[in-house]
Amino acid sequence: MSKNLTHVPYYPGCSLKTKALGYERSAMDCAKAIGFEMHEIATWNCCGASFPLTKDNLMGLAAPANILLEAEQHCQEREIDANLITLCSFCYNTLKRTDFAFREEPKKLETLNAFLKRQYQGSIKVVHYLEYLRDVIGFDNLAKMVKRDMSSLRVAPYYGCLLLKPQKEMALDDPEEPVILHDFLEAIGCQVVDFPGQVDCCGSYLIMRDPEKVLELSHNILQEANDYGADALVTACPLCQSNLDQSEGERRGSDHYIGVQGMPIFYFTQLLAVALGLDTEPHQFERHCIDPTSILSACLEDGAKPIEAKK
Amino acid sequence: MQILMKSNQSALKELELATGEIVSDCYQCGKCTAGCPASMDPSPSVLIHYLKLGLFEKAVNSESIWSCMGCLTCSERCPKNVSPAAIVEGLKRLHLNRMKPRVILHALGQEFLANSTQQAVVSGFRKFV
Ligand code: SF4
Ligand code: SF4
Repeated sequence: MSKNLTHVPYYPGCSLKTKALGYERSAMDCAKAIGFEMHEIATWNCCGASFPLTKDNLMGLAAPANILLEAEQHCQEREIDANLITLCSFCYNTLKRTDFAFREEPKKLETLNAFLKRQYQGSIKVVHYLEYLRDVIGFDNLAKMVKRDMSSLRVAPYYGCLLLKPQKEMALDDPEEPVILHDFLEAIGCQVVDFPGQVDCCGSYLIMRDPEKVLELSHNILQEANDYGADALVTACPLCQSNLDQSEGERRGSDHYIGVQGMPIFYFTQLLAVALGLDTEPHQFERHCIDPTSILSACLEDGAKPIEAKK
Repeated sequence: MQILMKSNQSALKELELATGEIVSDCYQCGKCTAGCPASMDPSPSVLIHYLKLGLFEKAVNSESIWSCMGCLTCSERCPKNVSPAAIVEGLKRLHLNRMKPRVILHALGQEFLANSTQQAVVSGFRKFV
């Protein structure tokens, strides 16, 4: 792209810098190819990962409030639109719900401002990368940028929980019958396989207490996607990715594991990078338990060399 | 170990204050339980039933509260705008305020933690400790 790239402030969070590095790198590479550049805000802290569900837990809002403050300062200094882009579903959920809580209950913001000795003015709009693609770039425009033929891929969207719920606060899509990932995958030219389990929970942070339960829940999701004819799952959450991917890795060969053979779990940005004709080498496919490269071979026939777009 | 006894009334009040939920709003339709992926036993609606009956200690000592993974399916579907997820988290917190952590993080082992996704570790600190 010859035109100047739009500067979009970005909050990574802890998983994106470690386990989910391939998610971050693919997202950043795609952004540049599409026409915007994600700029990590100068200072940030962990958001706390899970939004406190009990309303009196103001301490739980201090970490996300500090991030909103840093983002606000970042935007004011540069005089740019106050969008804050996120990738991880947990970060997105926590930051967006914190912002919502401040709007609904200004008293909470007052208390937090006093505690943090700073003044958050409430200017930040927390957006998910997927939301940015849909609402700012437009899926139809995205479709025109596709350079590789993805039609050999039968992929199932997997939303999980925190990207969508609670709907009143997240306001991204319908929590029971979402379409955003479906529309995205269709736009980049994949065959999309919807299945009922796309909004089921993978077990989430229960992995810290009851990994067996997580295996069971994740396996049910994989099995169902497989029954519906999917070759791969596509997610937007580092924890969904690792729960599903690891559970598949661990169960391979065991009695519980009939039917599903090597179904890779992609971050949606990893597939986007393939579709846009980018070099996928930095996107860490090698760190997945289930190797995703074999099912991509048809799309990547010419190696990393992009083929001409159909449109 | 028994949790310090409190009068059920004041314990319930404490829970309602902490969560912002009103337990008596629940009309026991069971929709939350039907959608709960954690197969909790007692289930979210039964836990709320205990609370409505004044059996606070029974609810707060239920092992099942530790199986909730905050997926919010229950809260999203409740026709009475109750958040069972918040009530369960409130029970966990009241429990943790008085008792030992539910997960001893250092006992999980270096390898497990090194292979874990960070957001799960952080959530583990928030929900089980
Ligand atoms: S869905 Fe709501 S009203 Fe129905 S049992 Fe659960 S909490 Fe009560
Ligand atoms: S938030 Fe907890 S109680 Fe509610 S449906 Fe999910 S696992 Fe069950």
